[in-house]
Order: sequence, then structure tokens, then C-alpha cells
Amino acid sequence: MKDQKMAGWLSRHRSILISYGGLIFCIAFFTIVTPIRGESIWSASKVSTLISDMIVTALMSVGAVFIYALGNLDISIGKQIGLYAVIMVVLGNMTGSLIPPVLLCIVLSVLIAVVNGGAGPMFNIIPIIPSVVISQVLSGTITIIFAKMGTRSITLKTIDYRIFKSPVVMVVVLAAEVAIAVLLFNYTKIGKYAKALGQNKTAAVQSGINVIKYRIICYIFAGLCFVVAALFQMGYTGSASDSTGTGFEMNIMIALILGGMPISGGMRSKVSAAVVGALTFSLLDVGLPLIGIATRTTFIVKAIIFLIVVLMTSRKKEGTLPK
Amino acid sequence: MKKTMKKAASLVLAATLAVSPAACVQADAEESNGKILFLSFTSSGPIYDFDIAYMDAWMSELGYTWEMVYGDSSNDPAGNLAAVKNAMTSDVVGLIMCQDGGVANIMEEYPDLYVVGSATDMASVYDEDGASAACADNDHFLGSVASGYASGVDTGKMYAEAIIEKGYKKVAICMFPSFAYPQYEIADETLRSEIAAYNETVSEEEQIEITEESTVLMFTSLDDNFFNEPENQDLDAIIGLCGGQSFLYAPMLTAIANGTANPEMKLLTSGFESDPDMMADVCSDGGIVQGLYFANVENLFYSIVMLDNALQGTQFADYEQSEVLDGVMISITDREIMETIINDSPIVTPDLSTLALSIEDGKQYFVRYNEDATYAALLELMESDTFTEKGYMD
Repeated sequence: MKDQKMAGWLSRHRSILISYGGLIFCIAFFTIVTPIRGESIWSASKVSTLISDMIVTALMSVGAVFIYALGNLDISIGKQIGLYAVIMVVLGNMTGSLIPPVLLCIVLSVLIAVVNGGAGPMFNIIPIIPSVVISQVLSGTITIIFAKMGTRSITLKTIDYRIFKSPVVMVVVLAAEVAIAVLLFNYTKIGKYAKALGQNKTAAVQSGINVIKYRIICYIFAGLCFVVAALFQMGYTGSASDSTGTGFEMNIMIALILGGMPISGGMRSKVSAAVVGALTFSLLDVGLPLIGIATRTTFIVKAIIFLIVVLMTSRKKEGTLPK
Repeated sequence: MKKTMKKAASLVLAATLAVSPAACVQADAEESNGKILFLSFTSSGPIYDFDIAYMDAWMSELGYTWEMVYGDSSNDPAGNLAAVKNAMTSDVVGLIMCQDGGVANIMEEYPDLYVVGSATDMASVYDEDGASAACADNDHFLGSVASGYASGVDTGKMYAEAIIEKGYKKVAICMFPSFAYPQYEIADETLRSEIAAYNETVSEEEQIEITEESTVLMFTSLDDNFFNEPENQDLDAIIGLCGGQSFLYAPMLTAIANGTANPEMKLLTSGFESDPDMMADVCSDGGIVQGLYFANVENLFYSIVMLDNALQGTQFADYEQSEVLDGVMISITDREIMETIINDSPIVTPDLSTLALSIEDGKQYFVRYNEDATYAALLELMESDTFTEKGYMD
């Protein structure tokens, strides 16, 4: 009887156990093995590298939890980051301050959220479609901007951006974002309805949940998180290029799945998946070279780990995927 | 319950076994002069294969370990910085960069690291307003060799001469966007002005026409519709200021087969592909590619010499400041040269016995082997025919 209860509990919490177990395993493994090779993953420089490697993915993923919880996927995230970074550099150089570009990015993120979040239910189309369209539009916009400027990369010239390279600032901002996200996700209607919509949209609608309203709110919060992430992405080198943000949506997906987020959304969605996944991914990024694994091999190791986690956490009999 | 526990235990065991040997393999690696990181922009192809073989040989000779690191495929500064930071270990002493994005950020992050470029014009360093212009005066930055002519003017002149020599009367230009390759815009302008100057010296029948607007390829193949435009249907040649074999060759082949293009249309372009069909086409009778121009992969020698001298504290006495050199070009203009490149050079197959400058002969340019070695001698080598196609034909 006790065994059955335990097995039931393990089955229900399998994804959490695997994701947290994976993180703890990585921490323990790299802590023990890196000193054998005369390195330490906990040296000041490596901790700094670890945090800077993790911060953008974590900030984006925290926002993306609200979209994934709905059972949706946003293809345009990478291009949003790219456009926001470009705006921050261009307008920052023009005005000598980051405040006007950040405000503009916030306005843009809300507009994009309205389209991405609202168009699906409003026009009865699969929610991923608006994000594909937005991604194409943003990609074209970025290309035109760089073609007009005659360069492939632009740099902040008049603003001191070093604050965005501070690991302490990164951790504080991430902690603040996570706190707000947890509050919204676990203790307000926004998170509860998002999970309900992801779990069973028909039942949620029958319960009187306003689908369009809560979807748009979720996308708006995610959009704001993307603006914060773009700030740190731009601040990493004080620059933006025509490829900034490319493929970031895949990084988010990998981080969330590694963190134990069900890719079909629903009630098992959790904010912690974003941080756990991003940290695990960065530990592998930074730790594997330290134990002598060549960079090209690290891609394979990471892919195998990802595959194992997906097989153990994200299989569903009905094969549900995000839409 | 037991099953679940077993599964978890076997997973942990498998992961540990998978990673542990790799961790231990080099734990007792022999003492070295440090590790060199090689930031590559590609992860496959003949250049990549050569770089690995050449670095293996030289690093082993000089007593360094080295590792290939993969930079951002679009040269994004943040991507390149992240690639270097993640691969950084305490024994890394030098960095060879094949693209310039983020070089200033990398040097700011690791001020003791010696950095040298290879197969890149380091435009962001050597342009006055470039994002990394400060690196030019940094004594830890050791210059670069471009992946061709550093100036678009020379590229433009080279293609103009080729067009005149081949006797083409109507040509079009296809190029990568100028925001990504600013020197290609200069090459385009130079080519047009050179041909315009040539036209003034010859009779009307002998004049060369270049179609009005160059076609910009956004890193995708030439659109088939290009050949439906009336002005492009009777072209004698296309000049590819891009990797023409990758982006132009197939659409040209299709258009000729479909009858939408002049069946005698030819291609003069840069870059090199080791696909057997493409290599068989180059400068063959009836082949489309009649001129192929690319920087020799052995130009990497310059970067290795500069880096080793700096790391050994034995920099050339006559070296003053970093600079970007023209990459020594290989010009394939006839089939004999192509056959030589295929069979007697390390470009297609990285067989180091066919090097234009063998490891043994190369040692004379390092101060550690030759106290009298000078920067002037190295420059003389890079300006000589050693690394041109002639270096393999002797």
C-alpha cells in the first residue's frame, strides 16, 4: 500500500524529480570533476560566465512560461529580442539614454502581445500562426534597418552599459522577475486561468474564463520579460547585430523542457522550470569544456541529455504538442 | 517503485559513464605551452578540414594544445563572446579568430589573451568607426590576414581584368549585401568604373555592358526569376561577389537547362566548394565556372607565427603595429591549375605533404627557431607567389 502511494507520488512528480535531479547531478558532477582537471566551475570567472550565459535565457523563459502554460508556442521571441536590442542601441545612441528606447520597446511588446495572443482565438486560427507572421515581419524590419545603416552590427557609443554585465545585477533582476512571475502565476487568476486554458480549453471556456483577455494578458507579461531580456542581451556586448536573438525561441524550449515544463502546457506548468532549465543548460555549456570535452562534442552531449529528458518527461499518450 | 528507482539509477550511471572517460582522458595531458582557441565560422567543408589538420600539425610542433570553438554563424558579437567564454579554461593563452564580431569585448574580458585574426579583414578593428577600433592599438592584438583582398578596390580590379581577358561582352553582378560585406560594394563600384574606363579605349563593338543594377543575394541562392528578366537572358557571364558555387551555380545550371539563359553563360566568382561535380565543372570545356578566386587556406601560417612569437615573448624586432594583410589569392583560370589544386595541394584533401610551405620550411619564420627571423621576411613571404596557385605548380 505504502509502495503504491510512493509510486503514485513519484509518477505525479516525475518531471520535477528529473529536472531538479538533473540540476543537482550537474552541480555535484562538475563540482567534483572540474578540480581533477585543475579547473573549478565555482571560480569567480566561471560563476560570472555561468550567470551571463544563463541570464537572457532565464529571463525569456520565465515570461515564456505564461505562453507555454496556455499550450502555445511563440516563434517570434528571438526576433522580438533582436528588434528590441536594435532599438535600444540606435535610439540609445540618438538620445544618450536607454529610457526612451526601453519605453518604446515596452509599447511594441504590448502591441505584439495583442496580435500574438489575441489573433488566434479571435480569428479561430492556430495560435502559432500569428507568431510566425510576426517573426517574419520583425525579421524583415531588422534586415531593412541594418541595410539602411550599411552595417551588420551596431554598438552603443555614448552610454555606459557595464551595469548590465554585473552578475549581481543579473541575479537581482532575475530574482525580481521570478518573484513577480510566481506571484502572478500561482496566486492570481492570470496564472490559474492560463493553466486551465492549457489543460482543457473547452472546460475553461465553459467555466466562464474570457479566453482572449487572459491570453493577451499572459502574452503581455511575457513580452515585458522579453524586453528585460533584450536589455541584458544588448548589455552583454553593448551591441546588436542582424542576427541578435536568432534561435532564442529554441533555447527557451530546451530550457523549459529541461526544467520539467510540460510542452503541452496545463496544470503542471511552473515558473521554476524556467530557472532550473536555464541553469542546467548553462551548467552544461560552461562545465563540459572544463572537463575536457571538446566544444563540438558538447553539442552531442547536450542533445543526448535533452532527448533523455524529453523521453522521460514530455511523452503523452495523445501526443499533444504546443500549438 | 522498484522499476522507477532502477530506471533512475541506470540513467545516472549511464550519464556518469558517458562523461567520465572524456573527463579523465586528458587529465594527465603532458605539459604544454598553453592552449590556443580557434574561433571558426564554419563546422564543415574543405577549409574547416584543412584548418584542423594544419592546426594539429603546427600546435604539436610548437607545443600547444588547441581547441576549435564555434562562433556565431552570423558573426554576432554576443554569440562570439559567449563561445569564447564558455570554452575558456585557465590554460588558454591565445585566440585565433576567423570573424571579428565581439573582438573588443573578448579582449576587454581577457586582457592577457593574445588575439590574432585569420581569414577575416577585421573590418570592425580597422575601420575608423568600427566597434572594435580600439583593438588596433592593443599590443595583444596581432593583426589578421583577410579572406581575399582586404580592399574591395583590388577585388573589383581583379574581376574587371578577368572580364576583359575572357572577352565577355555582357555581364551581370550578383553580390552579398553591402551591410554584411562593405568591401563588396566598393568592389562593385570599382569593377564598373574599370570597365567604363576600358570602354572609352575601345571601339563600340568591343565595349562591355554591365547590367544596370547588381543583384543582392540575402544569403540565399539566386532566384530563378532573375533569368526571366529580359536584360538577363543573353548574359555572357555573371560575376559572383559571393560564394558563387553555392549561391549561383545551381540556378545558372537550371536556367541553361530550361533554355531561359544563354547556354554559353559563364561564372566568375569567389569561394571554393569541394563537391566533385562542381570541381569537375571548373574551367572545363563547356563548364560554367571559368574563373574561381579564393584566399589560400595556408594564409593561416601568418597568424600562427604572430601568435607564437608573442606567446614566447620573442616578437619580431622590426614588428611595430598590427595590420591586416591581403589574403594571398589562388586564381583558378584554367583546367591545369584546377587539376593541380585538386591533386597537389592540401585544399581539397588536407594532405600536409602537399603544403606550399612545409612545416620544416616554415620554421625559419619563427623567432624561436631562427633568431634572425624578421617581420619583413614574413611579409615578403605573404607577398610572394608561395601561397598562390604557382606555389603548387612548381
